[in-house]
Amino acid sequence: MLNIGRKHLVHVVKYRWLWMALTALLLIPGIAAMIYSSATYENHAPLKVGIDYTGGTILQYGIEEKVTNKDLTVIREGLEKQGIENPYLQILNVNNDQQKNTKSEIQSIISVRTKFIDKDSTDGDKITSVMTEQYKNPELMSVSSVGPTMGKELFKNSLIAMTLAFLGIVAYLSFRFRFDYALAAILGVLHDVVFVVGMFSILGLVYNVQIDGLFITAILTVIGFSVHDTIVVFDRIRENLRYYSKKMSFGEIVDASVNQTLTRSINTSLTTLITLLALYFWGGVTTRDFVLAMILGIAIGTYSSIFFCSMLVDFWNDKQNDKRKEALSV
Amino acid sequence: MKNKIIMFWVIVAIVITSIAVILLKPTKLGLDLVGGSRLVLEAQTTDQVKEITQEDMSHLQFAIEQRVNKLGVAETLVQQVGDKRLLVEIPAVTDLKEAKAFIGETAQLEFKKPGKTEKGIVSWESTGLTGKDLSKAQLTTDSSGQWVVSLEFNAEGAKKFAELTESLVGQQMAIFFDGDLQSAPVIREAIYGGNAQISGGDSGFAYDEAQRMVDLLNAGALPVPAEIVEENTVGPTLGADSVAASKKAAIIGLGAVMIFMLLFYRVPGLIADIALIIYSLILFALFKTIPVTLTLAGIAGFILSIGMAVDANILIFERTKEELRAGRNLFTAINSGFDRAFTSIFDSNMTTIITCVILYLLGTSVVKGFALTLALGVVVSMFSAITVTKNFMHLIFGTGELKHPGLFGLKKEEIGESYRAEETKREKARFGILD
Repeated sequence: MLNIGRKHLVHVVKYRWLWMALTALLLIPGIAAMIYSSATYENHAPLKVGIDYTGGTILQYGIEEKVTNKDLTVIREGLEKQGIENPYLQILNVNNDQQKNTKSEIQSIISVRTKFIDKDSTDGDKITSVMTEQYKNPELMSVSSVGPTMGKELFKNSLIAMTLAFLGIVAYLSFRFRFDYALAAILGVLHDVVFVVGMFSILGLVYNVQIDGLFITAILTVIGFSVHDTIVVFDRIRENLRYYSKKMSFGEIVDASVNQTLTRSINTSLTTLITLLALYFWGGVTTRDFVLAMILGIAIGTYSSIFFCSMLVDFWNDKQNDKRKEALSV
Repeated sequence: MKNKIIMFWVIVAIVITSIAVILLKPTKLGLDLVGGSRLVLEAQTTDQVKEITQEDMSHLQFAIEQRVNKLGVAETLVQQVGDKRLLVEIPAVTDLKEAKAFIGETAQLEFKKPGKTEKGIVSWESTGLTGKDLSKAQLTTDSSGQWVVSLEFNAEGAKKFAELTESLVGQQMAIFFDGDLQSAPVIREAIYGGNAQISGGDSGFAYDEAQRMVDLLNAGALPVPAEIVEENTVGPTLGADSVAASKKAAIIGLGAVMIFMLLFYRVPGLIADIALIIYSLILFALFKTIPVTLTLAGIAGFILSIGMAVDANILIFERTKEELRAGRNLFTAINSGFDRAFTSIFDSNMTTIITCVILYLLGTSVVKGFALTLALGVVVSMFSAITVTKNFMHLIFGTGELKHPGLFGLKKEEIGESYRAEETKREKARFGILD
């Protein structure tokens, strides 16, 4: 074998079955959680969906003391006494050094989610009065409300956006690469999307994390990034094929290409992860889940472009060769 | 070399312009950062109005604009989206309930009768006849060709109006809009049938004046009821906290990426860092020029793009290192590093742009902000990571020998150990390979 690159760090082709098993191991818990959620949730969604998709109202109150889970029980009782049905409460703790600039005294944020409060309803005032009973100067910091019809529409639009993104990328890749590369890249993207959605399904079951309109944005960004990563590897395979296709087997070329682009794949993901981690730990409270989805997606996207997609291309090629041999031997 | 020096000064000029723009132009911050209300209203059909027409929408938009303006806040926005929705943006509200209140009531139009007169000033008394009783106002002309405002009351309004005018013959009747006296025509005779005209007195109405009145009257009565279907209201505290948090995250993110690049790629890393600063300056100046309204999601897109902007540099430097390991001379290694990485950079950025375009077309306004900043970031990064970095690399390293591989983070033993692809003559010419 020719010396392409230095010693290979990863062996995609040789340990093909190992990578397939690892992929399965990564995906199965999430898929299980999605199936479990679909079966048990009222709306049969694989994820816990927030008001953007179901309709509802979220009120956020800034509280000048640390709020504990015990307090929430008291507030929940208070709200139910006022006739607010099934309020969903959550505490967001505020990073203390964040307020140095704004001089606010707020230590915690309580977010209250209820069914859609329309303009004639007084539920908002009732909730505020419960808060005022419990705490000194609760500050109503934000209100977000989505009507039920709007929620359905947003959900439909999100699905359309996802489908279009997939089709757009397949079209572009088929135009620039061969169709089987495009297919492998798309399977890689699906792999990443299923992983992230699965993780959020688990988070939803365990920590009650709900997805909002930004989640779909995060998924689409992950799709872009995942394809981005895969293209670099494929581009290298394409280039190496030009020079070495006569001297080396397809599998060897795939392995060599993956190893040549390995540092790059890891480094770009690292720089992107660095900025995302900065956003996660120091950025705004409201975008934290959005950033988490991207962190998970970019990490898995790097894995899939190195191991999963290139393995697929090689696997596919092997199958094609087998068929050709069969055809010849007949 | 001459071209490279010209390019260098072009880059300097772009940087200076960007800094000037950043210093001179204000940043447009979104409602989630300055605090404010963003409402989506949907026109509702009623028994009378079975279908929402474009005319209904224009009237509704005008009515809502009037009310929003009454809040006395600068830079409000009322815009039609889709067939039957209005987007309303009201920045800097302090009372989260106040912004929403304007949509509920429809009775800011009031008809009043004269009460006591003290020192020549008439005090007006409520009559109970309000905008709720009006079905619509129209601009028409009377027999003498003067502009008049025709009023049409609903059944109950017609009855009240008849009673009111009966009692006010020969006196003035005042029309108030949101507490302001709009006009006070003299009632010549009792008016039955629910129709009335307001004429402009002896001098008549100017067209603009009459039109304004029609609009105001129609504004008093919303032509169709509207419901809030979406609301996002953020108080000023949360907004300010978010801005502070985003700034901090941006500085830490940018700083950490720069340190990483410097440690891993040494001199080229330093050049990439300078390119990254130039990237941030150009992008920020673009945001201010277009102008892009920065929202929390938009800033997240911007910070994410910092991580992605160095992607092109990493690709190029990895390739350059490989070419150096293959024993190429410095100039060739740099050139082929750029040329060979280009297709990867281009293809991968195109897919990001495809997703951004889809997000922009289909997304809600929050998502649009994210897509726009990310797409702009990708485009600008193609310039900063390729043109700027290449220029600096050539200016610094020139065409000489690489005497200290450490400058690239390479060890001396590594040079020449790697493979090397055999190019055709055409490719050699394209990559500028001299050996």
